[in-house]
Amino acid sequence: MRQAAERALEDAGCTWKDIDALILGKAPDMFEGVVMPELYLSDALGANGKPVLRVHTAGSVGGSTAVVAANYVQSGAFRRVLTVSFEKQSESNATWALSPRMPFVPHVNAGAGGFFAPYMRLYMERYGVPEHIGCLVAVKDRQNALKNPYAHLQIPDISLEMVMQSPMLWEPIRFLESCPSSDGACALVLADEEHASRSPNPPAWILGTSTRADGSMYAGKDNIHPASLIACAKDVYAKAGITDPRRQIDVAELYVPFSWYEPMYLETLGFCGEGEGWKLVESGATALGGDLPINASGGVLSSNPIGASGMLRFGEAALQVRGMAGQHQVEGARLALGHAFGGAHSYYAMWAVSADKP
Amino acid sequence: MAETNPELLTKSFELGYTYTRSTGPVIGHFLTELREGRIVGTRTSDGRVLVPAAEYDPVSAEALTEFVSVAEEGVVTTWSWVAEPISHHLLQKPFAFALVRLDGADVPMLHMVDAGEEGAMRTGMRVRVRWAAERRGSITDIACFEPA
Repeated sequence: MRQAAERALEDAGCTWKDIDALILGKAPDMFEGVVMPELYLSDALGANGKPVLRVHTAGSVGGSTAVVAANYVQSGAFRRVLTVSFEKQSESNATWALSPRMPFVPHVNAGAGGFFAPYMRLYMERYGVPEHIGCLVAVKDRQNALKNPYAHLQIPDISLEMVMQSPMLWEPIRFLESCPSSDGACALVLADEEHASRSPNPPAWILGTSTRADGSMYAGKDNIHPASLIACAKDVYAKAGITDPRRQIDVAELYVPFSWYEPMYLETLGFCGEGEGWKLVESGATALGGDLPINASGGVLSSNPIGASGMLRFGEAALQVRGMAGQHQVEGARLALGHAFGGAHSYYAMWAVSADKP
Repeated sequence: MAETNPELLTKSFELGYTYTRSTGPVIGHFLTELREGRIVGTRTSDGRVLVPAAEYDPVSAEALTEFVSVAEEGVVTTWSWVAEPISHHLLQKPFAFALVRLDGADVPMLHMVDAGEEGAMRTGMRVRVRWAAERRGSITDIACFEPA
C-alpha cells in the first residue's frame, strides 16, 4: 500500500502534504481479520488529522472507492484526494470469510466460484455457447499479463490446450479460467481541474462515474445480465456521452474473475446484443490487437488482491488514455472504461475516462 | 389475515477463521530486540522517539529508519486498575493497565504494572521492566512493569 501510494503521489507530482483526504477501500474486515485497518494504516498513508473514509462494497470496493473519491473532488469538498485499496490474501481467509457458516441452513462449502458456476452453465445453455469460449478468454488475459510487469500470475507458455486440460475447479469453471489469490494494492490521486491541468504527466479526465447495487438473491433476478449492472452502464454512458460503446470505447478493463464473465459483460454493457458476447470473444475482437481490447493488463484473472482489483481496472483504464500502459498499451486509446463487480452479482461500479478534457 | 402464533427460533453459533500475521522490518526489529532483552524505538522527523517503534512518521508520513535504544525504566502517565482479572488476562492477580513512558522515549506505551495493590499505583510513579522468563519476540517478552 505504501509503495502504491508513493508511486501515485510521484506520478501526480504531489507530496503527502498536498493531499486533502484519504478514501480507502478493501474487502470486508473478516477477510484478513483486521478490524478497521484504515486506522491501523493512517501513519503509512499520511492520513493523521485528515478526513479518512472507508468504502465497503465487497469485491467491487476498489471501483466504488475511486467513484467516491471522484465524487468528493467533483463536489468541491476536496481538491486532491489519495484513494487506496488493497488486499493481503496470503494472510487472509477470503474464500470462507465470503460465505460464513450460519444457523438454520447447511453450509454449501462452495466458495466464490461455487456460487457463480451454475450461472456459467446457464449462460452457455441459454445461448448455445461452445465450451471453449471461456478458455479463449483465459488464454487471452494470461497472454496479456505477460506484457504487464505488475501482473501477478505470469504463465509464459500459456496455451488453449493447457487451459482446457487444467483441473475442473467448480464445474464448468476450470482452474486456469479462475482468478488467483494475491496480495497487492492500487493507489490513485484524483484532483480537480486546476491541479490535474498542472500535473507532470498527462491526466486521465473522468467523464462519468456510477455505482449500483442489487440484492444477492431475489426471485426473478437475472444473474447473467443483472439489472444493477445494466443501470450502472446506462448511467455512466449518459454522463460520458457514450451512445455506441462498441464504436466509441477504445479499451475496457472489466472485472473478470472467472473467464465466462467477459462474454456476459460484453452483452450487459452494450458492446453487443444478448447472446452475442461469445462471438466477439471467438472473433478475437477483445484481444490486445483487436478492435475492442478487454483487459489488456491481464485483468483479474492475472492479479486478484480483491479489494484492489476494482481500482486496478479503473487505474488501468486511466493508464491507457494517458498513454502510460507500457507494453500492453492500446495504440491511440482515447476513451476507456473501468468496471468492477462485487458480492453475488450485487455491487457494480464503473467509470469512463478520456485523454481529452471534456 | 389469519391469526398466527409463530414459534421464533434462535440458535447460537461460533464463527472463526485461521489467519497469519507477519511483521515488516521495523516492527520485526523491535520484536527481535525485545527477544534479546533490549527496547528500541524509532526517531521521528521532529526528533521525538516513539516506543514501540513505529514504521512511519505520524506527522510527516515519511518512513522511519533510525532506531534508538531506550531505558528499561520509565514513568506511568496514566493507569486503570483491574481488581478482578479474568482468565484471559496475562496477570492472574490484581494489576494495572498503564501507559508507561520509558526514559529516552517521548510517548508512552500500553502495558501492565504489577504493583500488588491499587494503593501502590499513582500517576507519575517510576516503574521498571520485568522480563519474561523465556523471550520469543513478542510484546509479552516484557512480562509487565513493577515499581522501581
